[in-house]
Amino acid sequence: MASEASPYRLLGTRIPYIEGPLKVSGRAEYTDDLTRPNLLVGRLLRSPWPHARLRSIDVSAARKMPGVAAVLTGEKYPTTFGVLPITHDETALAVGKTRYIGDILAAVAASDELSAERALAAIQVDAEVLPEYSDPHVGLGAVAEPIHSRGLNGSNIQKEVHQHFGDVDAAFAEAAHTVRVRGTFAGVTHAFTEPLVTMAEATPDGRLTVWSATQVPHYLHRALSEVLGIPLHRIRVLKPEVGGGFGGKSDPLPHEIVCAALALETGRPVKMLLDREDVFLTNHGRHPTQNDLRVAADAEGHLLAYDLSAVIDGGAWSSFGTVTTYYNGVLAMGPYRVPNFRYHGRRVYTTKPPSGAMRAHGGTNVRYTIETALDELAEKLGMSPFELRMKNALPPNSTTITQFRITSTSFLACLKAARERSGFDEKFRKLPYGRGIGLGCGFYISGSNSPIHFTPKMPQCTVHLKADMDGGIAVHCMQADIGQGSNTLLAAIVAEVLGVQLERVHVVPVDSDVSPVDIGSYSSRVTFMMGNAARQASERLLALLLAAAHELTGYPAKQLRVREERYEVAHRPEVGVSYLEALHKAMEHSGALQASGAYTSPPMGGTHKGARAGTAPAYSFAAYVAEASVDAETGFFAVEKVWAAFDCGRPLNRLAVEGQIEGSIHMGLGQFMGESMNYRGSRLLNPSLLEYKIPTPQQMPEVEVLLVGADDPEGPFGAKEAGEGPLVAILPAVGNALYDAVGVRFYDLPVTPDKVWKGIERRRAEGTPWKGT
Amino acid sequence: MASRPLRTRVNGTALERTVPDERILLDLLREDLRLTGTKRGCDLGTCGCCTVLLDGRPTLSCLTLARSAEGREVTTIEGVTPAEGLHPVQRAFVERGATQCGFCTPGFILTSVALLRDHPHPSREEVARAISGNLCRCTGYTKIIEAVLAVGGGK
Amino acid sequence: MHLDPFELHEPATVEEALELAGTLSGKFDYLAGGTDLLPNYKMHINLRPHLISLERVSELRGVSSNRIGAMTRLAEVEESPDLSRAYPGVAEAVREVATPLVRASGTVGGNLLLETRCFFFNQTYPWRQSLGFCLKADGDRCHVVPQKERCYATFSGDLAPALAALEAEVEVAGPSGRRRMPVEHLYNAAGDGILRLSLVPGEIVVAIHFPESARRARSAYTKLRVRPSFDFPELGVAAAVWGAAEAPEKVRLAIGGLETYPRRFDEDTDALAGAPLTDARVRTVAEAVTRRVRPVHNTFLPPDYRRRMTEVFVRRTLSRVRAPNGSVAA
Repeated sequence: MASEASPYRLLGTRIPYIEGPLKVSGRAEYTDDLTRPNLLVGRLLRSPWPHARLRSIDVSAARKMPGVAAVLTGEKYPTTFGVLPITHDETALAVGKTRYIGDILAAVAASDELSAERALAAIQVDAEVLPEYSDPHVGLGAVAEPIHSRGLNGSNIQKEVHQHFGDVDAAFAEAAHTVRVRGTFAGVTHAFTEPLVTMAEATPDGRLTVWSATQVPHYLHRALSEVLGIPLHRIRVLKPEVGGGFGGKSDPLPHEIVCAALALETGRPVKMLLDREDVFLTNHGRHPTQNDLRVAADAEGHLLAYDLSAVIDGGAWSSFGTVTTYYNGVLAMGPYRVPNFRYHGRRVYTTKPPSGAMRAHGGTNVRYTIETALDELAEKLGMSPFELRMKNALPPNSTTITQFRITSTSFLACLKAARERSGFDEKFRKLPYGRGIGLGCGFYISGSNSPIHFTPKMPQCTVHLKADMDGGIAVHCMQADIGQGSNTLLAAIVAEVLGVQLERVHVVPVDSDVSPVDIGSYSSRVTFMMGNAARQASERLLALLLAAAHELTGYPAKQLRVREERYEVAHRPEVGVSYLEALHKAMEHSGALQASGAYTSPPMGGTHKGARAGTAPAYSFAAYVAEASVDAETGFFAVEKVWAAFDCGRPLNRLAVEGQIEGSIHMGLGQFMGESMNYRGSRLLNPSLLEYKIPTPQQMPEVEVLLVGADDPEGPFGAKEAGEGPLVAILPAVGNALYDAVGVRFYDLPVTPDKVWKGIERRRAEGTPWKGT
Repeated sequence: MASRPLRTRVNGTALERTVPDERILLDLLREDLRLTGTKRGCDLGTCGCCTVLLDGRPTLSCLTLARSAEGREVTTIEGVTPAEGLHPVQRAFVERGATQCGFCTPGFILTSVALLRDHPHPSREEVARAISGNLCRCTGYTKIIEAVLAVGGGK
Repeated sequence: MHLDPFELHEPATVEEALELAGTLSGKFDYLAGGTDLLPNYKMHINLRPHLISLERVSELRGVSSNRIGAMTRLAEVEESPDLSRAYPGVAEAVREVATPLVRASGTVGGNLLLETRCFFFNQTYPWRQSLGFCLKADGDRCHVVPQKERCYATFSGDLAPALAALEAEVEVAGPSGRRRMPVEHLYNAAGDGILRLSLVPGEIVVAIHFPESARRARSAYTKLRVRPSFDFPELGVAAAVWGAAEAPEKVRLAIGGLETYPRRFDEDTDALAGAPLTDARVRTVAEAVTRRVRPVHNTFLPPDYRRRMTEVFVRRTLSRVRAPNGSVAA
């Protein structure tokens, strides 16, 4: 266990969110809570066809309807965009073709919702219906009408990855044991509680202001500039409070651009609030995936090779898909040493809502596939699932065969804590039929090393500080707090370094006019990158304050130490000055103090094609044990308890880290137990929070959080990520617990009760008893 | 199209205004009265973000006609918050990390305030059941339940 | 999401409501709790220009040990200790409806007359338009059983089976006076998701009445749904047993959530009277009932599973009530 005794005053304690009082009182302002004088309502006409060529869109009648200020169609803004610069294939509104049921065909700005909807109904669309491609396997070969022209060789393949490290065939030839599994995963979606919403206003000074529920204000800023043809400096992006994201607000989204375009058309402010069905159709959730995995091991259980191939259902757009395709392979490279690895990944366009990045992006489905296969392997070997993993754990300061630089890892400590606290050895295969215990492990990037930038040499994050006469410290940074607590962490780091009370630090809401660029809340990068930038900025500001303290005390800065609201001489504590005295002294030279800090990740990774994918300055590790009970007659199961051992380095805000782990377990359980985007063909059947089955409070297990990470050498104050890695381990932990309970492997997610029941029936029919039943 | 006068009380203050028959209570609160603490999450009665107290009972304002508030008392999150500081339930939510993104939080606070008024010392199961119509995507409910239990003197 | 304009009527008595219904014939819906109707209206399903709210009709209120007014909120039933003691099966069913927030607004009458549900029906106007409107709203085909010209939408109320198992009656007021009938007679047993009720246009459900005998029954309700909150039943089994486990006077079973109407299975359960409710006899009935039910694929869980679970749920529900202490009969 990490020692509770912390060298820090604030960091490492339980720090309630600084904006908590505003949230619990309804005073925190989300985008839909804002308004502007003369505000118009924006609404979207969505495609009723999964795939069609647009012949004409007649908006003349709609334009004449009462209350209608503007009607927009795609041809005005044909510039393509997308979150990755290499795969710009989206347009704000459909141009020429529509590629899924939900694609935006036209948009209306009107005085009120009713007028807007009546105008939408008056729009006439003439289209030639094209073949729909709902099954990614169909799109692997040449198709009659490829969804995008960029599909490879007339197919619908958006991205194909071939990677081979070592010699996989040789490894299998000499293997003592092999396991082969196929994992299939339905698509799941973020289902944040705050719907997607944007407000935009174009003003006579030639500027465009956009407020949006986004995780990536900077990427939105760039997409607006590119598509609307307005220089970046004439666009101002503001991020109000955001009601959850989980990756679903991490692409620049078409409605955001359309809303801004309507503001430009009308010269009036426009707000576009999406209905819940719209949010489901916008999706960008976790990719439906089929993973075929072979694992080779020697007689002692040393892993020899993974041979993995994947078919990934991308939906209508690229989004983060190229990254997904790589991640679904290379995130297999931890937490174990795998000397030989082959991967064939294909992401295929389909005529369905686009898939994208969702919490533990690219790492969740492959992790389930691996961890359940390892459970099978351990059984074949007659070895404890723990022993197998301990034997293969990547050591600290090692390199994977894909050239990932592993610096800190406390994976073994995670295993030890989960094993001991759960009493695993006393329970495994020993609980009565219907009750089981399982282990699942995890590994995730702590910030992608590859910023999605114009020029990769720019820092991934910059933090500005300003301290003025009032003694307050304003913090500017474009990092996006979407509920994960990054504002609080930012303030706490500044307060920690400067030695001031937390209430002195004001995190200024994101505003591209004043916030220096941080590339946003995704890839679990914020704590690591913003934390380092904030630390650097704070240390630079501290240097100014200590220089002033030196002037006042006569002792050199080196001999001064930081105490709460005070800088004093280390060996003569009675000599010192208050923070305010130092601040005001320093201001005699320069006025308000300013300091800036930035973070750029160090060079890393190999030189092969795709070598950057999966590289990160650090990685988190997890070992979860779940205990579950199954009602064998109905297939209903309950996860009773989870022991969640996690290595996030040093947890800087224990309250927030626990919250991330508990929330991740809930979200991961959702994907395991019942969440799925259900389709008939290309049509989403359950675009509602009623029919999309997020687990209820009664389904949430007791969670024991075990934070066992050692300090990371490069993380801020030793910290690594805790926002996404905590999700991946829960799914296989429960899957393996169900196997222990009833002797059935579940490789097709979600594992709804009917599938459990069927599995139990099948095993019964085969006449192979389990635990005597 | 029909409108008629509505007489109700919102957060202790009498309100009289003419509203269209089809006006939904949530729209009256958010759009007409600018009481934006009540959130619009799904608009179809599933997520519970729009919860208000109607004569003290937690109610989905997105599925309630404004007319239904005639002669009754509506309490929103703004009405629960004291002029100075926070209500004990609000304080517990902050201190125990029961709010993350915060969008569902006003609804949970109102549901919890009503629960604790009727059952001052609820069990863990009673809390879980009471909040099972409010959806939270961030916390896994763990810290929400802990916060409510803490106010009720439970574990 | 907005509601299209409509005119709201707020009668104070049943008679006023009926008079309005006569005037507005075919152009109105009654509004009870609104938790079912208003989402459908927001999705622009079968809109009418008038709504007659029954909220202010005081006669429709109130819960006692032998009567529940139709406009009683589900939460009020849940909170009534007398009723819960007298009819545990009804109490269990009420507790399982949707969520606490829905039960705060939803009414007993509304749950009884709940619109039938289907994946292809409970969708927004653009969603339904894009697929082609179905029989049940604006269209002429069924997307569940395309070769058929009837509607298979599922009856998803929890209360009806619980009440039907106890042989409760429903009091209905209409243009030609008042009548009482067994709860299950509210529904069209021909099995049509559109012509789902036996009510004549304008009729109002006034109250539920429990016969004296209902207090002597042991009753239970078991609900199959994916989650323990939010979800409509994928199967709901209610059972009631009168008399000793060794020789019950009468056994009643009613099932909802599977077909277009809640159904009783007297022909199967009548055989259980007079002889001990052994495991074997319970199983025989459970299997017989399972053979009769015909769920279709228009809810979340697959129909074959829901059918097979009927056997398990009937068995479990009957087992819970066969004896005063739940123990197994000889």
